[in-house]
Amino acid sequence: MNRRQFWRTSVSALAFVAIAATFNSATPALAEEAEIRFSWWGGPGRNDKTNQILELFEAENPGITVVRENSDWPGHWDRLTIQASAGNQPCTIQMQNRRLEPYASPNILRPLDDLVADGRLDVTGIAEPTLETGRGTDGNLYMIPTGVFYFAMMMNRSALEASGVEEPPIDWTWDDLAQLLREIEPTLPEGMDAAHNMGQEANTFVGWVQSHGHQMFEDNAVAFPSETVVEWFEFWEALRNEGLTNSAELMTEETNALMENSNISTGSVFITERPPNRLGGHQAVIDTVRPGDTLGIIPYPNGPAGSGMDVGTNGLSIGAGCEGAQLDAAVAWINFFTQDERAAAIYESDNGVVSVDRFQTAQAQGPNTSAPQREQIEVFARLAPDAKPVIWTGNSYGALQDSLYRNYQAVAFGLMSPEEAAEALIEEINDQLQ
Amino acid sequence: MVSKSQQLAERQIRRGASPYRRVEHRAAYLFLLPWFVGLIGITLIPLLASFVLSFTDFDVFNRPNFIGLENYEKLLTGDRRFDRSLMVTARYVGFSVPLILVFSLLIAVVLNRGLAGLAIYRSLFYIPSLIGASVGIGILWREVFGADGVFNEILARFGIEGMSWIANPSTALWTIIGLNVWTFGASMVIFLAALRQIPESYYEAASIDGANAWQRFWRITLPLITPVVLFNAVLLAIGSFQSFTQAFVVSGGAGGPVDSTLLYSLYLYQMGFQQLDMGYASAMAWLLLVLIAVLTALIFWSARYWVFYGDRN
Repeated sequence: MNRRQFWRTSVSALAFVAIAATFNSATPALAEEAEIRFSWWGGPGRNDKTNQILELFEAENPGITVVRENSDWPGHWDRLTIQASAGNQPCTIQMQNRRLEPYASPNILRPLDDLVADGRLDVTGIAEPTLETGRGTDGNLYMIPTGVFYFAMMMNRSALEASGVEEPPIDWTWDDLAQLLREIEPTLPEGMDAAHNMGQEANTFVGWVQSHGHQMFEDNAVAFPSETVVEWFEFWEALRNEGLTNSAELMTEETNALMENSNISTGSVFITERPPNRLGGHQAVIDTVRPGDTLGIIPYPNGPAGSGMDVGTNGLSIGAGCEGAQLDAAVAWINFFTQDERAAAIYESDNGVVSVDRFQTAQAQGPNTSAPQREQIEVFARLAPDAKPVIWTGNSYGALQDSLYRNYQAVAFGLMSPEEAAEALIEEINDQLQ
Repeated sequence: MVSKSQQLAERQIRRGASPYRRVEHRAAYLFLLPWFVGLIGITLIPLLASFVLSFTDFDVFNRPNFIGLENYEKLLTGDRRFDRSLMVTARYVGFSVPLILVFSLLIAVVLNRGLAGLAIYRSLFYIPSLIGASVGIGILWREVFGADGVFNEILARFGIEGMSWIANPSTALWTIIGLNVWTFGASMVIFLAALRQIPESYYEAASIDGANAWQRFWRITLPLITPVVLFNAVLLAIGSFQSFTQAFVVSGGAGGPVDSTLLYSLYLYQMGFQQLDMGYASAMAWLLLVLIAVLTALIFWSARYWVFYGDRN
């Protein structure tokens, strides 16, 4: 082969590849066949359930292939940010109302109002207020809520029973929490602290602020006074100094702990804060570490203003640019995940209490529902009327979480006073919100 | 007298090349094309774009607005965490680089003594530098130096009570410095190559004159390898300034506890990809470039006082 022939052959080969690629990229536009990507967060348990549902969906929709993109919680958002900045976001994306706002724009997510209005997206059984949590500040609906989540405290019920201390009532107070820890601490087995130090936990902090009669945010700024933060820091420092919580180091390590290593799962603490939808997962771990121990849920304590519980929603969104056959496939997948009885039974409120009312009733009463998931639904049903949903604007949740970790840790390690840390917390969050 | 063929050849050289040469050049450029595309598309254009973006409020999703020097102003005057990240990075670089240099030179000198199985030892010591920056090793480090980690188990055998080394602000950075020092293999291989270049006759002459091992190292080995020390120091300093993965994984992305592992590049990442302030992150990237350039210039300037090239004083 001479030089001319070599180049001619090479160019022809390149041209062939380019033409083939063009044909290939056109394939998803065919009406019957489509390939869509679906990204979600979660650990191995949720991945298994999601894959089971996806396999069912693909079996019933032979023309549709769903490319799975799974990650842990922080990885999901980091990846979505990078994908969205390049216009490469998946067709279907798991979303959360706390995280929705930075992405709530037609450039990133497809507004879903028209699909709901013409009935293509089936929202049967999803309560109107729940559906409204999927709206952006521009008024467009960007997410179909599939689960309603809340945070609460998770405790080792077996340790409580063994101690002889009575289980607190559902309307207990923050003082009751301190008293419970004082009573139970001497009775706990070696290696089990009375409490995980929740001074650094954003969800518990929200419960404290709202139960003390303050709003979290207003007009893109922090709405609670610094005295409330100082009192919060002092509350947990007092418990830590009494030896009723884990050490500052163990508290810090817990920040990055997976469910398998978390202190409630390994029996290292009697009580901590967790989302109740993870109760089943934690129970499965402790079954292997401390067989016979049972975990249970108790709501956050009440304050002078009653309950401070926030509720949020997880759901599904459609990425901007998802059109034609891919849009049809995305709609079909969301409908299947949300409305199919088998899908709901497999998922079993894994990412919050299922938002469709008939499935919620079925799971609360059904004989096949696991005990932890039933408890999650029952506690939610009792608390929901008094819940105070927070309006999370911009990156407010991320800012609160990040700043609270840092500033309470500074207090716990003796690097800042509660007053200095409270000032820094408010300043940092406001700085990020503006 | 110049022949016609010579004149023709000279003319062709002046004009450029023969038709055959020109075709050769075209082929060479064609083969270089992917590299040029990469250089321009993946390096130069993003570099320039980040410079432009550093003067904007770009939030990744929306059109950037020009805000002048605001990002730079805030960095230099109103960002406590930026100051903290600078301090943490200075400590990280300031301890890592000398420790790696000393450690890698020490091992190289030992390995250069004609040990049997040198290739095996060299490979074993080199492996950490290949995997040290990986996510897996970061996770391993977290497990080793955690409260229930292997390190504490070893200490317990000697009756020493351990702690969570990664969760305490006074020790967390040291675990990351330790991880960086552990990846000394690449510097060691370069030192080993330099040591091999020193003529044996220098040592023989010194031995005849009664020089002991320390004097031979201090008076012959070290002066002759100072150019390689300079080379390694510059590479390590630049690499350490850009360290990211180890701090990200060990601290779970937060740079904690209490910002004690908040390396510069980790804070840059947080600003760009978590707080979505890409304009600010771009300004940080350009300040980092300036910092590294100044430090490199200082190292080169200082070289005139301690680097010995052999051919001049």
